[in-house]
Amino acid sequence: MKLPQSWKEIDVYKFKEIRSTSHIEEMFTRDIEIISVLLDISPDDLEDYDIDVISKMIKDITFINSEPSKIFKKEIDNFIFKPLQKLTCGEFIDIEHYLSTDYMQNIGHIAAILYKKFKINEWDEVVYEPYTYSVKQRCEQFDEVCINDIYGIIPEYLNFRANFLENYSPLFQNTDDDDDDDDYRPKTSDEKKAIQEEKSAKKWSWERLIYNLCNDDLTKFHDITNLPLILTFNMLSMRKELNL
Amino acid sequence: MVTILDKTIPNELTELTVQQFEDITTIHADKELDVIEKHLKVFSLFGFTEDDFEDTSIEDFKMYVKQFNTLNNKIKIKKSIIIDGFKYTGFPGKQFILSVKDTKFIEKILNTKNRGYISEVLSVLFKRDDLTKTEHYAAAHIKHKAKLIKELKADIAIPYIVQISKKLSKSIKIQDETTSVMEGN
Repeated sequence: MKLPQSWKEIDVYKFKEIRSTSHIEEMFTRDIEIISVLLDISPDDLEDYDIDVISKMIKDITFINSEPSKIFKKEIDNFIFKPLQKLTCGEFIDIEHYLSTDYMQNIGHIAAILYKKFKINEWDEVVYEPYTYSVKQRCEQFDEVCINDIYGIIPEYLNFRANFLENYSPLFQNTDDDDDDDDYRPKTSDEKKAIQEEKSAKKWSWERLIYNLCNDDLTKFHDITNLPLILTFNMLSMRKELNL
Repeated sequence: MVTILDKTIPNELTELTVQQFEDITTIHADKELDVIEKHLKVFSLFGFTEDDFEDTSIEDFKMYVKQFNTLNNKIKIKKSIIIDGFKYTGFPGKQFILSVKDTKFIEKILNTKNRGYISEVLSVLFKRDDLTKTEHYAAAHIKHKAKLIKELKADIAIPYIVQISKKLSKSIKIQDETTSVMEGN
Protein backbone atom coordinates (compact mmCIF):
# COMPACT_ATOMS: atom_id res chain seq x y z
CA MET A 1 0.00 0.00 0.00
CA LYS A 2 1.62 3.21 -1.19
CA LEU A 3 0.81 6.37 0.67
CA PRO A 4 1.21 9.86 -0.79
CA GLN A 5 4.21 11.73 0.55
CA SER A 6 3.10 15.35 0.19
CA TRP A 7 0.19 17.60 -0.69
CA LYS A 8 1.49 17.51 -4.27
CA GLU A 9 -0.17 14.11 -4.59
CA ILE A 10 -3.51 15.16 -3.09
CA ASP A 11 -6.41 16.57 -5.08
CA VAL A 12 -9.04 18.98 -3.76
CA TYR A 13 -11.61 16.23 -3.23
CA LYS A 14 -9.25 14.19 -1.02
CA PHE A 15 -8.15 17.31 0.82
CA LYS A 16 -11.77 18.02 1.74
CA GLU A 17 -12.23 14.42 2.87
CA ILE A 18 -9.12 14.61 5.08
CA ARG A 19 -10.17 17.92 6.61
CA SER A 20 -13.70 16.60 7.23
CA THR A 21 -12.26 14.04 9.65
CA SER A 22 -11.42 16.82 12.11
CA HIS A 23 -14.81 16.43 13.80
CA ILE A 24 -13.95 12.84 14.83
CA GLU A 25 -13.01 13.03 18.49
CA GLU A 26 -11.31 9.64 18.78
CA MET A 27 -7.70 9.95 17.65
CA PHE A 28 -7.21 6.42 16.30
CA THR A 29 -10.56 6.38 14.55
CA ARG A 30 -9.61 9.66 12.87
CA ASP A 31 -6.20 8.27 11.82
CA ILE A 32 -7.85 5.21 10.31
CA GLU A 33 -10.27 7.40 8.35
CA ILE A 34 -7.40 9.54 7.03
CA ILE A 35 -5.35 6.50 5.98
CA SER A 36 -8.36 5.02 4.19
CA VAL A 37 -8.90 8.31 2.32
CA LEU A 38 -5.25 8.47 1.30
CA LEU A 39 -5.24 4.85 0.15
CA ASP A 40 -8.57 5.18 -1.61
CA ILE A 41 -10.04 2.26 0.26
CA SER A 42 -12.89 1.75 2.70
CA PRO A 43 -11.98 1.95 6.43
CA ASP A 44 -13.45 -1.57 6.66
CA ASP A 45 -10.60 -2.86 4.50
CA LEU A 46 -8.16 -1.86 7.24
CA GLU A 47 -10.05 -3.36 10.15
CA ASP A 48 -7.95 -6.53 10.53
CA TYR A 49 -4.58 -4.74 10.51
CA ASP A 50 -2.66 -4.31 13.75
CA ILE A 51 -2.82 -0.75 15.09
CA ASP A 52 1.01 -0.62 14.93
CA VAL A 53 0.76 -0.76 11.13
CA ILE A 54 -1.52 2.30 11.15
CA SER A 55 0.84 4.13 13.52
CA LYS A 56 3.74 3.49 11.15
CA MET A 57 1.65 4.82 8.27
CA ILE A 58 0.78 7.95 10.25
CA LYS A 59 4.51 8.50 10.77
CA ASP A 60 4.91 8.53 6.98
CA ILE A 61 2.26 11.16 6.35
CA THR A 62 3.33 14.00 8.59
CA PHE A 63 2.51 16.41 5.78
CA ILE A 64 -1.21 16.20 6.61
CA ASN A 65 -0.53 18.21 9.78
CA SER A 66 0.78 21.08 7.70
CA GLU A 67 -0.95 23.44 5.30
CA PRO A 68 -0.75 22.93 1.54
CA SER A 69 1.29 25.42 -0.48
CA LYS A 70 0.04 28.99 -0.30
CA ILE A 71 1.44 29.76 -3.75
CA PHE A 72 -1.46 29.13 -6.06
CA LYS A 73 -1.56 28.75 -9.83
CA LYS A 74 -2.89 31.73 -11.76
CA GLU A 75 -3.90 29.48 -14.65
CA ILE A 76 -5.58 26.08 -14.37
CA ASP A 77 -6.62 24.35 -17.59
CA ASN A 78 -8.75 26.92 -19.45
CA PHE A 79 -9.38 29.07 -16.37
CA ILE A 80 -7.48 32.07 -15.06
CA PHE A 81 -7.56 33.63 -11.61
CA LYS A 82 -9.61 36.82 -11.64
CA PRO A 83 -7.82 39.60 -9.72
CA LEU A 84 -9.70 40.21 -6.48
CA GLN A 85 -9.91 43.96 -7.14
CA LYS A 86 -12.04 43.09 -10.16
CA LEU A 87 -14.61 41.03 -8.25
CA THR A 88 -18.24 41.92 -8.77
CA CYS A 89 -20.61 42.52 -5.94
CA GLY A 90 -22.40 39.21 -6.61
CA GLU A 91 -19.16 37.23 -6.67
CA PHE A 92 -18.09 38.78 -3.38
CA ILE A 93 -21.41 37.98 -1.69
CA ASP A 94 -21.26 34.36 -2.84
CA ILE A 95 -17.66 33.92 -1.68
CA GLU A 96 -18.63 35.39 1.68
CA HIS A 97 -21.40 32.80 1.93
CA TYR A 98 -19.05 29.87 1.18
CA LEU A 99 -16.39 31.30 3.46
CA SER A 100 -18.76 31.70 6.40
CA THR A 101 -20.14 28.18 6.27
CA ASP A 102 -16.96 26.04 6.04
CA TYR A 103 -14.30 27.33 3.73
CA MET A 104 -12.22 24.13 3.85
CA GLN A 105 -15.17 22.17 2.53
CA ASN A 106 -16.12 24.98 0.13
CA ILE A 107 -12.67 25.62 -1.32
CA GLY A 108 -13.83 24.14 -4.65
CA HIS A 109 -16.84 26.48 -4.71
CA ILE A 110 -14.64 29.48 -3.95
CA ALA A 111 -12.21 28.40 -6.71
CA ALA A 112 -15.14 28.04 -9.10
CA ILE A 113 -15.97 31.72 -8.51
CA LEU A 114 -12.42 33.05 -8.58
CA TYR A 115 -11.16 31.13 -11.63
CA LYS A 116 -12.82 32.18 -14.87
CA LYS A 117 -12.85 31.30 -18.51
CA PHE A 118 -11.61 34.26 -20.51
CA LYS A 119 -10.85 35.70 -23.91
CA ILE A 120 -8.63 38.47 -25.23
CA ASN A 121 -10.55 41.26 -26.94
CA GLU A 122 -9.46 43.35 -29.91
CA TRP A 123 -7.68 45.74 -27.47
CA ASP A 124 -5.59 42.85 -26.07
CA GLU A 125 -7.47 43.05 -22.80
CA VAL A 126 -8.56 40.04 -20.79
CA VAL A 127 -12.33 39.67 -20.76
CA TYR A 128 -13.74 37.31 -18.12
CA GLU A 129 -16.77 35.13 -18.69
CA PRO A 130 -19.94 36.47 -17.07
CA TYR A 131 -20.89 35.08 -13.69
CA THR A 132 -23.90 33.16 -14.96
CA TYR A 133 -22.66 29.58 -14.63
CA SER A 134 -23.56 27.13 -11.84
CA VAL A 135 -20.91 27.25 -9.11
CA LYS A 136 -21.96 23.82 -7.85
CA GLN A 137 -21.36 22.23 -11.25
CA ARG A 138 -18.15 24.14 -11.90
CA CYS A 139 -16.66 23.20 -8.52
CA GLU A 140 -16.65 19.53 -9.53
CA GLN A 141 -13.95 20.37 -12.09
CA PHE A 142 -11.80 21.79 -9.31
CA ASP A 143 -12.20 18.64 -7.17
CA GLU A 144 -9.69 16.94 -9.46
CA VAL A 145 -7.09 19.72 -9.27
CA CYS A 146 -4.06 19.35 -6.97
CA ILE A 147 -4.77 21.11 -3.67
CA ASN A 148 -1.41 22.90 -3.87
CA ASP A 149 -2.60 24.62 -7.06
CA ILE A 150 -5.54 26.39 -5.45
CA TYR A 151 -5.14 26.33 -1.65
CA GLY A 152 -3.36 29.71 -1.72
CA ILE A 153 -6.52 31.47 -2.94
CA ILE A 154 -7.90 31.23 0.60
CA PRO A 155 -5.16 33.23 2.38
CA GLU A 156 -5.05 35.54 -0.64
CA TYR A 157 -8.77 36.20 -0.38
CA LEU A 158 -8.69 36.50 3.44
CA ASN A 159 -5.97 39.10 3.10
CA PHE A 160 -7.99 41.03 0.52
CA ARG A 161 -11.10 40.70 2.68
CA ALA A 162 -9.34 42.05 5.79
CA ASN A 163 -8.16 45.13 3.87
CA PHE A 164 -11.57 45.55 2.27
CA LEU A 165 -13.43 45.39 5.60
CA GLU A 166 -10.98 47.86 7.09
CA ASN A 167 -11.32 50.29 4.18
CA TYR A 168 -15.08 50.22 4.37
CA SER A 169 -15.37 49.70 8.12
CA PRO A 170 -18.07 52.38 8.62
CA LEU A 171 -20.37 50.32 6.36
CA PHE A 172 -19.83 47.14 8.39
CA GLN A 173 -20.06 48.62 11.87
CA ASN A 174 -23.64 47.54 12.56
CA THR A 175 -22.95 43.97 11.50
CA ASP A 176 -19.99 43.74 13.87
CA ASP A 177 -22.12 44.97 16.76
CA ASP A 178 -24.69 42.25 16.05
CA ASP A 179 -22.06 39.55 16.59
CA ASP A 180 -21.54 40.65 20.20
CA ASP A 181 -25.20 40.11 21.03
CA ASP A 182 -25.28 36.38 20.27
CA ASP A 183 -25.22 35.28 23.95
CA TYR A 184 -27.49 38.02 25.24
CA ARG A 185 -30.82 36.85 26.71
CA PRO A 186 -33.72 39.28 26.26
CA LYS A 187 -35.53 40.33 29.43
CA THR A 188 -38.85 41.52 27.96
CA SER A 189 -41.01 40.39 25.07
CA ASP A 190 -40.36 43.71 23.28
CA GLU A 191 -36.65 43.17 23.60
CA LYS A 192 -37.06 39.63 22.28
CA LYS A 193 -39.00 40.94 19.28
CA ALA A 194 -36.37 43.59 18.60
CA ILE A 195 -33.58 41.00 18.73
CA GLN A 196 -35.55 38.72 16.41
CA GLU A 197 -35.98 41.56 13.93
CA GLU A 198 -32.28 42.33 14.17
CA LYS A 199 -31.45 38.68 13.47
CA SER A 200 -33.74 38.64 10.43
CA ALA A 201 -32.14 41.85 9.20
CA LYS A 202 -28.71 40.25 9.60
CA LYS A 203 -29.83 37.09 7.80
CA TRP A 204 -31.04 39.08 4.82
CA SER A 205 -28.41 41.83 5.02
CA TRP A 206 -26.90 41.26 1.56
CA GLU A 207 -30.27 40.92 -0.12
CA ARG A 208 -31.50 44.02 1.69
CA LEU A 209 -28.42 45.95 0.59
CA ILE A 210 -28.88 44.99 -3.07
CA TYR A 211 -32.62 45.65 -2.90
CA ASN A 212 -31.88 49.04 -1.46
CA LEU A 213 -29.41 49.79 -4.27
CA CYS A 214 -32.04 48.71 -6.81
CA ASN A 215 -34.34 51.38 -5.42
CA ASP A 216 -36.83 48.59 -4.68
CA ASP A 217 -36.87 47.58 -8.35
CA LEU A 218 -36.22 43.83 -8.37
CA THR A 219 -35.61 43.75 -12.14
CA LYS A 220 -32.34 45.60 -11.51
CA PHE A 221 -31.07 42.98 -9.03
CA HIS A 222 -28.60 41.40 -11.47
CA ASP A 223 -27.47 44.80 -12.73
CA ILE A 224 -26.32 45.59 -9.21
CA THR A 225 -24.70 42.21 -8.47
CA ASN A 226 -22.76 42.50 -11.73
CA LEU A 227 -21.31 45.85 -10.73
CA PRO A 228 -17.68 45.95 -9.62
CA LEU A 229 -17.45 45.44 -5.84
CA ILE A 230 -15.14 48.39 -5.25
CA LEU A 231 -17.37 50.76 -7.24
CA THR A 232 -20.45 49.60 -5.33
CA PHE A 233 -18.87 50.11 -1.95
CA ASN A 234 -17.41 53.45 -2.93
CA MET A 235 -20.94 54.56 -3.84
CA LEU A 236 -22.34 53.16 -0.59
CA SER A 237 -19.65 55.01 1.36
CA MET A 238 -20.51 58.22 -0.44
CA ARG A 239 -24.22 57.76 0.29
CA LYS A 240 -23.51 57.12 3.94
CA GLU A 241 -21.15 60.07 4.28
CA LEU A 242 -23.49 62.49 2.51
CA ASN A 243 -26.54 60.98 4.17
CA LEU A 244 -28.19 60.43 0.78
CA MET B 1 -3.81 -14.04 49.77
CA VAL B 2 -2.77 -11.56 52.43
CA THR B 3 -3.71 -11.40 56.10
CA ILE B 4 -4.78 -8.05 57.50
CA LEU B 5 -6.10 -7.72 61.09
CA ASP B 6 -6.53 -11.51 61.31
CA LYS B 7 -8.63 -11.55 58.14
CA THR B 8 -7.37 -13.17 54.92
CA ILE B 9 -8.29 -11.34 51.75
CA PRO B 10 -7.38 -11.82 48.06
CA ASN B 11 -4.70 -9.58 46.61
CA GLU B 12 -3.04 -11.54 43.80
CA LEU B 13 -4.41 -11.16 40.28
CA THR B 14 -5.11 -14.88 40.31
CA GLU B 15 -7.35 -14.33 43.35
CA LEU B 16 -9.12 -11.03 42.62
CA THR B 17 -12.00 -10.98 40.15
CA VAL B 18 -12.03 -8.55 37.23
CA GLN B 19 -14.94 -6.80 38.99
CA GLN B 20 -12.87 -6.34 42.18
CA PHE B 21 -9.89 -5.15 40.19
CA GLU B 22 -12.10 -2.62 38.37
CA ASP B 23 -13.44 -1.38 41.70
CA ILE B 24 -9.91 -0.93 43.04
CA THR B 25 -8.75 1.01 39.97
CA THR B 26 -11.88 3.18 40.12
CA ILE B 27 -11.12 4.08 43.75
CA HIS B 28 -7.50 4.91 42.92
CA ALA B 29 -8.63 7.12 40.04
CA ASP B 30 -10.96 9.14 42.30
CA LYS B 31 -9.36 12.57 42.62
CA GLU B 32 -11.72 13.56 45.44
CA LEU B 33 -10.09 11.06 47.83
CA ASP B 34 -6.73 11.43 49.57
CA VAL B 35 -4.28 8.52 49.79
CA ILE B 36 -5.49 7.18 53.15
CA GLU B 37 -9.15 7.46 52.12
CA LYS B 38 -8.39 5.52 48.95
CA HIS B 39 -6.78 2.63 50.84
CA LEU B 40 -9.58 2.55 53.43
CA LYS B 41 -12.10 2.39 50.61
CA VAL B 42 -10.18 -0.42 48.89
CA PHE B 43 -10.13 -2.40 52.16
CA SER B 44 -13.86 -1.78 52.56
CA LEU B 45 -14.36 -3.81 49.37
CA PHE B 46 -13.20 -6.82 51.39
CA GLY B 47 -15.44 -6.23 54.39
CA PHE B 48 -13.35 -3.87 56.51
CA THR B 49 -14.87 -0.78 58.06
CA GLU B 50 -13.07 2.43 58.97
CA ASP B 51 -13.59 1.53 62.64
CA ASP B 52 -11.58 -1.68 62.18
CA PHE B 53 -8.46 0.47 61.70
CA GLU B 54 -9.22 2.83 64.57
CA ASP B 55 -6.49 1.42 66.82
CA THR B 56 -4.04 0.72 63.99
CA SER B 57 -0.89 2.86 63.96
CA ILE B 58 0.00 4.64 60.73
CA GLU B 59 3.10 2.43 60.39
CA ASP B 60 0.99 -0.75 60.62
CA PHE B 61 -1.54 0.68 58.17
CA LYS B 62 1.27 1.45 55.70
CA MET B 63 2.52 -2.13 56.13
CA TYR B 64 -0.96 -3.55 55.36
CA VAL B 65 -1.15 -1.42 52.23
CA LYS B 66 2.32 -2.58 51.16
CA GLN B 67 1.40 -6.24 51.77
CA PHE B 68 -1.82 -5.84 49.81
CA ASN B 69 -0.02 -4.20 46.92
CA THR B 70 2.82 -6.73 46.73
CA LEU B 71 2.19 -9.22 43.94
CA ASN B 72 4.18 -12.42 43.82
CA ASN B 73 2.94 -14.14 40.71
CA LYS B 74 4.09 -13.11 37.27
CA ILE B 75 1.33 -13.65 34.77
CA LYS B 76 1.38 -14.45 31.09
CA ILE B 77 -1.17 -13.50 28.49
CA LYS B 78 -3.78 -16.20 27.85
CA LYS B 79 -4.81 -16.46 24.23
CA SER B 80 -8.18 -18.02 24.92
CA ILE B 81 -10.63 -18.77 27.72
CA ILE B 82 -13.60 -21.09 28.16
CA ILE B 83 -16.78 -19.72 29.69
CA ASP B 84 -19.93 -21.85 30.02
CA GLY B 85 -18.49 -24.31 27.51
CA PHE B 86 -17.80 -21.69 24.85
CA LYS B 87 -14.30 -20.86 23.70
CA TYR B 88 -13.39 -17.16 23.47
CA THR B 89 -10.18 -16.13 21.66
CA GLY B 90 -8.38 -12.88 22.43
CA PHE B 91 -6.22 -12.61 19.30
CA PRO B 92 -5.46 -14.63 16.16
CA GLY B 93 -1.97 -16.03 15.58
CA LYS B 94 0.80 -16.42 18.12
CA GLN B 95 1.48 -12.81 19.05
CA PHE B 96 -0.93 -10.32 20.51
CA ILE B 97 -2.29 -7.92 17.92
CA LEU B 98 -4.68 -5.05 18.45
CA SER B 99 -6.77 -4.85 15.33
CA VAL B 100 -7.95 -1.56 13.84
CA LYS B 101 -11.58 -2.52 14.40
CA ASP B 102 -10.99 -3.44 18.04
CA THR B 103 -9.06 -0.20 18.56
CA LYS B 104 -12.02 1.83 17.31
CA PHE B 105 -14.33 0.14 19.83
CA ILE B 106 -11.82 0.31 22.67
CA GLU B 107 -11.12 3.99 22.03
CA LYS B 108 -14.81 4.74 22.29
CA ILE B 109 -15.06 2.82 25.58
CA LEU B 110 -12.00 4.56 27.03
CA ASN B 111 -13.37 7.97 26.00
CA THR B 112 -16.80 7.46 27.49
CA LYS B 113 -16.49 5.11 30.48
CA ASN B 114 -15.04 6.13 33.83
CA ARG B 115 -15.57 2.80 35.54
CA GLY B 116 -16.03 -0.78 34.44
CA TYR B 117 -14.04 -0.26 31.30
CA ILE B 118 -11.64 -3.21 31.79
CA SER B 119 -14.33 -5.87 31.38
CA GLU B 120 -15.81 -4.03 28.43
CA VAL B 121 -12.42 -3.61 26.71
CA LEU B 122 -11.79 -7.34 27.19
CA SER B 123 -15.23 -8.16 25.85
CA VAL B 124 -14.22 -6.43 22.60
CA LEU B 125 -11.01 -8.47 22.37
CA PHE B 126 -12.37 -11.90 23.32
CA LYS B 127 -14.48 -13.30 20.52
CA ARG B 128 -16.55 -16.45 20.76
CA ASP B 129 -15.13 -18.88 18.21
CA ASP B 130 -18.49 -20.10 16.97
CA LEU B 131 -19.92 -16.64 16.21
CA THR B 132 -19.57 -14.30 13.23
CA LYS B 133 -17.88 -10.91 13.01
CA THR B 134 -21.23 -9.11 13.09
CA GLU B 135 -22.20 -10.87 16.30
CA HIS B 136 -18.81 -10.19 17.94
CA TYR B 137 -19.38 -6.44 17.86
CA ALA B 138 -23.12 -6.32 18.54
CA ALA B 139 -23.70 -3.97 21.50
CA ALA B 140 -25.84 -6.47 23.42
CA HIS B 141 -23.28 -9.25 22.93
CA ILE B 142 -20.42 -7.04 24.15
CA LYS B 143 -22.45 -6.12 27.22
CA HIS B 144 -23.18 -9.78 27.89
CA LYS B 145 -19.51 -10.76 27.52
CA ALA B 146 -18.47 -7.91 29.85
CA LYS B 147 -20.81 -9.30 32.50
CA LEU B 148 -19.25 -12.77 32.18
CA ILE B 149 -15.70 -11.39 32.21
CA LYS B 150 -16.33 -9.44 35.44
CA GLU B 151 -16.61 -12.78 37.24
CA LEU B 152 -13.28 -14.10 35.92
CA LYS B 153 -10.00 -13.72 37.76
CA ALA B 154 -8.06 -10.55 37.03
CA ASP B 155 -5.01 -12.46 35.74
CA ILE B 156 -6.93 -12.86 32.47
CA ALA B 157 -7.44 -9.14 32.08
CA ILE B 158 -4.23 -7.46 33.20
CA PRO B 159 -1.81 -8.78 30.55
CA TYR B 160 -4.27 -7.58 27.89
CA ILE B 161 -4.59 -4.15 29.48
CA VAL B 162 -0.78 -3.91 29.63
CA GLN B 163 -0.45 -4.87 25.95
CA ILE B 164 -3.16 -2.42 24.88
CA SER B 165 -1.58 0.38 26.90
CA LYS B 166 1.80 -0.36 25.31
CA LYS B 167 0.40 -0.25 21.80
CA LEU B 168 -1.74 2.83 22.30
CA SER B 169 0.96 4.81 24.09
CA LYS B 170 3.39 3.93 21.29
CA SER B 171 0.90 5.29 18.76
CA ILE B 172 0.24 8.41 20.82
CA LYS B 173 4.01 9.01 21.02
CA ILE B 174 4.25 8.78 17.21
CA GLN B 175 1.33 11.22 16.92
CA ASP B 176 2.99 13.67 19.28
CA GLU B 177 6.29 13.39 17.41
CA THR B 178 4.75 13.97 14.01
CA THR B 179 2.70 16.94 15.27
CA SER B 180 5.71 18.53 16.96
CA VAL B 181 7.80 18.03 13.80
CA MET B 182 5.23 20.00 11.85
CA GLU B 183 4.96 22.71 14.50
CA GLY B 184 8.76 22.94 14.45
CA ASN B 185 8.68 23.52 10.73
